[in-house]
Amino acid sequence: MNIIACCKIVPEDQDIAVKPDRTLDLSKAEPKISQYDLNAIEAAIQIKEQSGNANVVALSAGAAKTLGNSKIRKDILSRGVDSLTLVADDSLEGRLPADTASVLAAAARKTGFDLILCGEGSGDIYAQQVGILLGEMLGVASINGVSRITAGDGTVLVERTLEDEIETLELALPAVVSVTADINTPRIPSLKTILAAGKKPTVTETLDGIGYQAPAPVAAMTSVKAPEQSDRKKKIIDGDSDADIKAFIESIRPELTA
Amino acid sequence: MSKLANIYVFSDKPSRIRDLIGVATPLGDKVTAIVIGAQPEAQAAAAAGAATIIAIPSQEGVIVEDYAPSIAEAIRGAGAAGLVLLAAGKRGKCLAAKLGAALRAAVVNEASAISLDGGLAVSHMVYGGLANATETISSPLAVVTVASGALEAAPCQAVAGAEIRQGVFVPPAHPIRLVKREAKAGQAVDLAASRRVVCVGRGFAKKEDLSLAGDLASAIGGDVGCSRPIAEGEGWMEREVYVGVSGVMLNADIYIALGVSGQIQHMVGANGSKTIIAVNKDKNAPIFNFADYGIVGDLYKVVPALVAALK
Ligand SMILES: Cc1cc2nc3c(=O)[nH]c(=O)nc-3n(C[C@H](O)[C@H](O)[C@H](O)COP(=O)(O)OP(=O)(O)OC[C@H]3O[C@@H](n4cnc5c(N)ncnc54)[C@H](O)[C@@H]3O)c2cc1C
Ligand SMILES: Nc1ncnc2c1ncn2[C@@H]1O[C@H](COP(=O)(O)O)[C@@H](O)[C@H]1O
Repeated sequence: MNIIACCKIVPEDQDIAVKPDRTLDLSKAEPKISQYDLNAIEAAIQIKEQSGNANVVALSAGAAKTLGNSKIRKDILSRGVDSLTLVADDSLEGRLPADTASVLAAAARKTGFDLILCGEGSGDIYAQQVGILLGEMLGVASINGVSRITAGDGTVLVERTLEDEIETLELALPAVVSVTADINTPRIPSLKTILAAGKKPTVTETLDGIGYQAPAPVAAMTSVKAPEQSDRKKKIIDGDSDADIKAFIESIRPELTA
Repeated sequence: MSKLANIYVFSDKPSRIRDLIGVATPLGDKVTAIVIGAQPEAQAAAAAGAATIIAIPSQEGVIVEDYAPSIAEAIRGAGAAGLVLLAAGKRGKCLAAKLGAALRAAVVNEASAISLDGGLAVSHMVYGGLANATETISSPLAVVTVASGALEAAPCQAVAGAEIRQGVFVPPAHPIRLVKREAKAGQAVDLAASRRVVCVGRGFAKKEDLSLAGDLASAIGGDVGCSRPIAEGEGWMEREVYVGVSGVMLNADIYIALGVSGQIQHMVGANGSKTIIAVNKDKNAPIFNFADYGIVGDLYKVVPALVAALK
């Protein structure tokens, strides 16, 4: 079985600063694998371990300057995938979901696949739709919110934990499945997988190379602004001696008994 | 810009149809509800305020998501311009993307604002809630999911003599087979409505210790919530009670964070609280930047003392 695990490279959100005019300063934010895409990669690896004869390709599309980062490539490869395919083009920076999905669709068509796994949402724009759009563009079955996958013969059985019900569905392959954050606990790369990463192939594709044709634009991001913060009192007691705890309790008691 | 000519509303949950129509009404001249079913479902939509209803005949064993081609066909038949509003659950988001692909429409999940000034623009949170992004829509149709209570809903009157049209079922190209469906056991508290919330973070070492948070909550007459990893990952609490950008947005008077680091994805959900109190043993934890009161200390020491003092 050929499995593609989609992972986006996003800026480390803890290093994003808000400027006085409430726009964002991303200049200090290092690239990282989007948190919930680690679940997609892990899910792919687990299917491979169960079925024994799967091939897992990690697929990421993004700006060449980001995907060129060798630390990032190594990080992806050290998570147990067999190879990495990158669609690298600086014009891909900041693309909206419909564009991203059409790039991934073109790449997936070229690579070939039985099952594509996506995360539940990308850490930067958290649009929560690329997986489904990708499935529709490829003309295959697609579903989101999947918290368990069992690979069958030409099918996958998936469990979805919805707001008030749990359902089990069967999808005929090929299919695209978006997994939730609690499908698994992504393992930390081991020394063995880190060493093996250096020997695994990375294929860098261009937009022309995958035969990408830009769809008509449907939307543009016209502003990104931090909301106004409410001022907090910030009365912090530094220490947990009995006297500190007592002072803390007295400081909050009026609030709690109001 | 004047109102949109057409707004389509579909909810996989009957309880959301009224507020979606309420959100749609000020934005559009004509609100059409799409329902799966027949007279009873159509009448329920009319009672919730829909003047026009398209009823797609219900099919045995077809999951809501597989009605996407039928809903797309109904919208296409009615002009395929304007706005489609859906409830922002997992099913709603899945349907939204399927409709977006079928109708070549922009899709935005969990809208935080919809504006008509200078064209249709929809905002949603990005970077874990650090910022709001506004997307200006250029496709004739946009598909937007809305979380409960996220946007203001106008009160709606039941419509007598609503126009009910018959939709058609269009089978999906790759049907998904429903194997089994079970209701989830138990109903979690509605934290969005809680006045006082004690929040459990990963500073708790094991599940048994959660009783500490429970004790504090009962001492102050509040409810217990958690950070996302406590619900997803540890699985110590229900997903319905994690606070944050992808969870519950609080409107509490008091929020007490115990062993919560205070990352932006979490704080976006907590910031709606009037007073924020934090217990964290790391002086540099971001939570202290968002707090009114705080103590740099071990929750295992502070919380029992706090509970005893409040008794
Ligand atoms: C797209 C996306 C969406 C997300 N959505 C959400 C969301 O909606 N809600 C959410 O909560 N998270 C969300 N997250 C995750 C979020 O980024 C954080 O990982 C999470 O909130 C951290 O949870 P925590 O504070 O419980 O754990 P940690 O970050 O591990 O913090 C634990 C804290 O406990 C303190 N501590 C440890 N022991 C003690 C002790 N004995 N006494 C006192 N303090 C102690 C530590 O100093 C630390 O600060 C999202 C992430 C992404 C990428
Ligand atoms: N540029 C990208 N490269 C690879 N995968 C992506 C990219 N963008 C989104 N995805 C996948 O689609 C999922 C949903 O993304 P989104 O719709 O942006 O929230 C992510 O969790 C990834 O698995």
